[in-house]
Amino acid sequence: MQATLNIENLSKSFDQGKVKALDGVSFYVNKGDICAVVGESGSGKTTLIRLIAGLEELDEGEIHIEDKLVASIKKNIAPEKRDVGMVFQEYALFPHLSVLENVTYGIKKSKSKKEVALATLNLVGLEGYEKRYPHELSGGQQQRVALARALAPNPSVLILDEPFSNLDAMMRHKLRNDVFNIIKKTGVTAIFVTHDTQDALAVADEILILQNGRLVQKDEASALYKKPQSIYVASLFGNTIQLNKGLQTAFKCPLKEDCCHAIRNENITVNEDCDYVSEAEVLKRTFLGTHSQLLLKLDNGEHITVVTNEPVLGNTLKIGFNSKDVLAFEE
Amino acid sequence: MKRIVYLLLVSVLVLSCKTEEKKDEKNELTVYTHRHYESDQELFKEFEEESGIQLNIVNASADELIQKMSLEGAESPADVLITVDAGRLYRAKSKDLLQSFSSEMIDSIVPSHLRDEDKQWVSLTKRARVIAYAKDRVDSTQLSTYENLTSEDWDDKILVRSSSNIYNQSLLASIIANKGNEFAENWAQGVVENMARDPKGNDRDQVKAVANGEGDLAIVNTYYIGKLLNSSDKDEVDAGNSVSIFFPNQNTTGTHVNVSGIGVAKHASNKENAIQFIEFLLEEKAQNIFAGSNYEYPVNPNVEPADILKSWGDFKEDELSLNELGKNNKEAVIIFDKVGWK
Amino acid sequence: MNLKIKFLKFKRDLNRWSLLLLLILGIVTIPILTIGLKLFDGPGESWTHIVDYLLYDYLENSILLAVFCSFIVIVFGVSTAWLVSRFDFPMRKQLEWLLILPLSVPAYIMAYAYAGVFGYSGLLQNLTEKLGFDNFSIDIMNIYGLSFVLSMSLFPYVYVSSRTFFLAQATNLLEASRMLGISEFKSFFKLIFPLARPAIVAGLVLVLMEVLNDYGAASYYGVNTFTTGIFRSWFSLGEPETAIYLSAILLMIVFGLILLEKWQRRHLSFSSPKSSKKNYNSRIKPRKKNQILFSIFCSIPVLLGFIIPVIQLLIWTKQTFSRVWNIEFISITLESFVIAFITSCVTVIFALLLLFFSRWNKIDLLKTSSKLGILGYAIPGVIIAIGVLIPSLTLDKWLIEHKITSKLILNATLIALIYGYVVRFLAVAYQPLESSSLKIDRSLSDSSKVLGEGNFKTFFRIEFPLIRTGLLSAFILVFIDILKELPLTLIMKPYNVNTLAVKAFEYASDEMVSSAALPSLLIILTALIPAIFLNKLLLKNASDS
Repeated sequence: MQATLNIENLSKSFDQGKVKALDGVSFYVNKGDICAVVGESGSGKTTLIRLIAGLEELDEGEIHIEDKLVASIKKNIAPEKRDVGMVFQEYALFPHLSVLENVTYGIKKSKSKKEVALATLNLVGLEGYEKRYPHELSGGQQQRVALARALAPNPSVLILDEPFSNLDAMMRHKLRNDVFNIIKKTGVTAIFVTHDTQDALAVADEILILQNGRLVQKDEASALYKKPQSIYVASLFGNTIQLNKGLQTAFKCPLKEDCCHAIRNENITVNEDCDYVSEAEVLKRTFLGTHSQLLLKLDNGEHITVVTNEPVLGNTLKIGFNSKDVLAFEE
Repeated sequence: MKRIVYLLLVSVLVLSCKTEEKKDEKNELTVYTHRHYESDQELFKEFEEESGIQLNIVNASADELIQKMSLEGAESPADVLITVDAGRLYRAKSKDLLQSFSSEMIDSIVPSHLRDEDKQWVSLTKRARVIAYAKDRVDSTQLSTYENLTSEDWDDKILVRSSSNIYNQSLLASIIANKGNEFAENWAQGVVENMARDPKGNDRDQVKAVANGEGDLAIVNTYYIGKLLNSSDKDEVDAGNSVSIFFPNQNTTGTHVNVSGIGVAKHASNKENAIQFIEFLLEEKAQNIFAGSNYEYPVNPNVEPADILKSWGDFKEDELSLNELGKNNKEAVIIFDKVGWK
Repeated sequence: MNLKIKFLKFKRDLNRWSLLLLLILGIVTIPILTIGLKLFDGPGESWTHIVDYLLYDYLENSILLAVFCSFIVIVFGVSTAWLVSRFDFPMRKQLEWLLILPLSVPAYIMAYAYAGVFGYSGLLQNLTEKLGFDNFSIDIMNIYGLSFVLSMSLFPYVYVSSRTFFLAQATNLLEASRMLGISEFKSFFKLIFPLARPAIVAGLVLVLMEVLNDYGAASYYGVNTFTTGIFRSWFSLGEPETAIYLSAILLMIVFGLILLEKWQRRHLSFSSPKSSKKNYNSRIKPRKKNQILFSIFCSIPVLLGFIIPVIQLLIWTKQTFSRVWNIEFISITLESFVIAFITSCVTVIFALLLLFFSRWNKIDLLKTSSKLGILGYAIPGVIIAIGVLIPSLTLDKWLIEHKITSKLILNATLIALIYGYVVRFLAVAYQPLESSSLKIDRSLSDSSKVLGEGNFKTFFRIEFPLIRTGLLSAFILVFIDILKELPLTLIMKPYNVNTLAVKAFEYASDEMVSSAALPSLLIILTALIPAIFLNKLLLKNASDS
């Protein structure tokens, strides 16, 4: 399969080279795939997509869209000629234009403009809203308009910048599925930025992890979860505890020294039938509905948080984890 | 938006009508003038009617006009330059912006000390720089000369405007020419020490300040008193009435006079019209208007000054060559700065 | 980074907007550069004299004046803008536009009017006499009086720019602040004032530029400023070259200040809060006592900056009307209006081109230099006139030499005059445009571009409709300024064109201040038309969005 988006050795710095936002990033996205870019804030996610959209100029490297060179140090195709669609974080709907006018905005064919726009609105489930103005819509509806607007011109690549960050949890969940169902239906290649790994895990075909402007891992969702290449990656997908010397002694699990080891919080259980077990004293319990969170103190004084859905009685208990769950990274 | 566009179109139309008026180049005269009196405009209109020559008036300060002329060079449309002091005419002359012209009429009417030796310019009107004193507080016998103004009697009593004013510069320039640098500097120093307040306002304000009791003597030009007395503002008339005029230096060099004058531009394309215009301004009719409505002293000896001016009596004027005022102008400014005359 | 890569990138980033920016920048900066280049010619022979005797004093006065004026215009401009956009009180609607009016009174006319009010047998003396005080007088003709007069005629710049900001401001920050237990007034100082700083500074820059180059009012009040020095070296010492040299120094100082200001708020640019969709149309209705207090407070600058001077002008007009009135005034008023109107359009267009070309251009150096274009406002009009005359006459002479024209074509028509106005007043249009365009969320134009519209179309479809308010303020400010403009008009206007400001000056320079009152009133009336128009639009816009 041919890559729709191909990025080679991309670098970009700001403030006359003082701040390096991206450092030698290379990857590709296959046609029709949804690719998530995950990283802490400041990891270069936004810079990456702005470079792809053509809203910034790169310092090094090349960007190809559909095998066409769109940016290099010699060339910079303007965003309007890149055939890219983008959904902005705050939607960036034009406040003085109606929903229909917003969606029609980017459509080039003059004849069927309105039909295409209405069809797209239909696709995102907003038929009947075309005469409204952006400020008359709810957050979720605005999101859909923004999506319709980006999809209407039928771009090669669709970029979504933190698409759900402005929505509440309930809405977010539903909209996430809706949005990506629509994207899948249209078959467009999509790249979206998020700091929430749940989003990425739920819908992405592939996930890119950025750290300090470098690409640290690119993999399918399950592979990434199971085999993170660094503690940074692991901790993006849930609390991860590094198994330092102290913990190793507490759990009596001698591990190899040339590696860095860690265990996910969720893999530590209140259970004696584990490969490695330790005694712990309960310092604090927090009731969270379906489960409880315990703050524990181990023998050697280390603190650790554990989640359990069993009722816990008494002030001391045994916790443990299995050796198959131990993550190991090259140092 | 549409309305704005319409408005713009109409505006352009109006303006293009304005600039469309075609003119016969032969029959026009471009006047660069520093004078902007109402009476002048009447005169200009009258000249246009009488001669059929169209006047183009450019009105700005003499120094700006001189700069403009020198930038324009040979392409300058200016035919004549009118200034309100002799120093500026001297300046234009020394920058080679004027040319000589001769007219028997002018030679016969205007006294020689009011003409340039090289016939490049001629005076139109005279103004005397006099002392206006508070009638109720000062006796005219206490006054004698400009030089006397530095006496201790006038400590904290003198009102005069800023030294950037050309009339003050010309006065000091005349003192430099008559008595030399050192004397002039001491004199200026003495006046500064006797000032009732920091120099500010114009000549009228100095008279008003005398009326208001801020000082006793004001150094002013004659025609401003005339205008005060004929003002439509009753308070201005009162202010004018509260002072009397004293012509200084009657027993020595004579009262300092400055002139408003006119010169023919070096690159004048209508020199004949220019001379005709100058002659017109020196004729009795025009001189009467200068004298009557602007309270200036006419240079044409056949014309009487305005009644108010006549009531102050005749006076002896300083017949120092007016070019001297121009030559010493810069030195005068330098002295003013040195002694702190603001 | 090696040179070759740098060059390649430069070539890549050099787009047509860069070239167009260079072109526009070239057009508007030729006069400024002409003056700037005179720095290399050096001053005339009186330079040492000026340095020895004048410069120090003049600089000191200028700095004092700038400090006093900044203080007064901020106090009046920002507080009134805040009150009218945040609170409801009697007369608020009227005050909202009355506060713009002082701008329409030329500063030197206001100086004359106040000298009349406070001077010998003026309004004040008449009033105090009636109250039984004899010979009561306040001397206003000094640096404090000058600061007062200039501030009163210029504070609307700060008022307009900060009000535009306050009207577009979201409530959530304020609500947050009040939740934190900080009173409305404390929030003003702790929160709103710092946030509004860029807007306030934009207005303040205009005020300071005008204060620095004021000559008429300062010389009448006997206050010697840096600009006095410029005039003195030219008119008194007869050295235009020294005057230009001094102006060039002034230019450098102002440019330095502009860069400094930009630099010190470089970290703040992102912090300007986005206006949320919920604007506060709902003004707070304070207690009755405070309402009256606010009405009175907002009336003070209107009274001082407009009503009192206008009363004085009316008194004078009454005295002189029969003598001064002339049917010509109607055509002069019309001409003034037409010239101001056309020129304002041209100036606003140039400001827009400068602003947006520099935004679309990707070369940083050019972006910074685009600020050079607005320096014309800091230089006295006469000096700009020289800056315009030199290049335009050169072109004219070249045309004549090559037999394309037979006589001066630019300099005998309105072209050179309008060009001069544009150079001089570009800043007045640029500042409000810049601040209103900065308020537009960048992602709006980004998304338009990603949707396939180029810079130009994006401008017309997105930015232009959204900066309409700024556009109108820009237009009206320039319009009023052109109506008032004098020195440039005097020296560059075609023979058969006349303006109200010229007419007023003809009388004033002849010490017939009371006769100058009529044309001054006409200037004010003409300026009123668009000022009221602006206000209507400002309000409509605020309630629209």
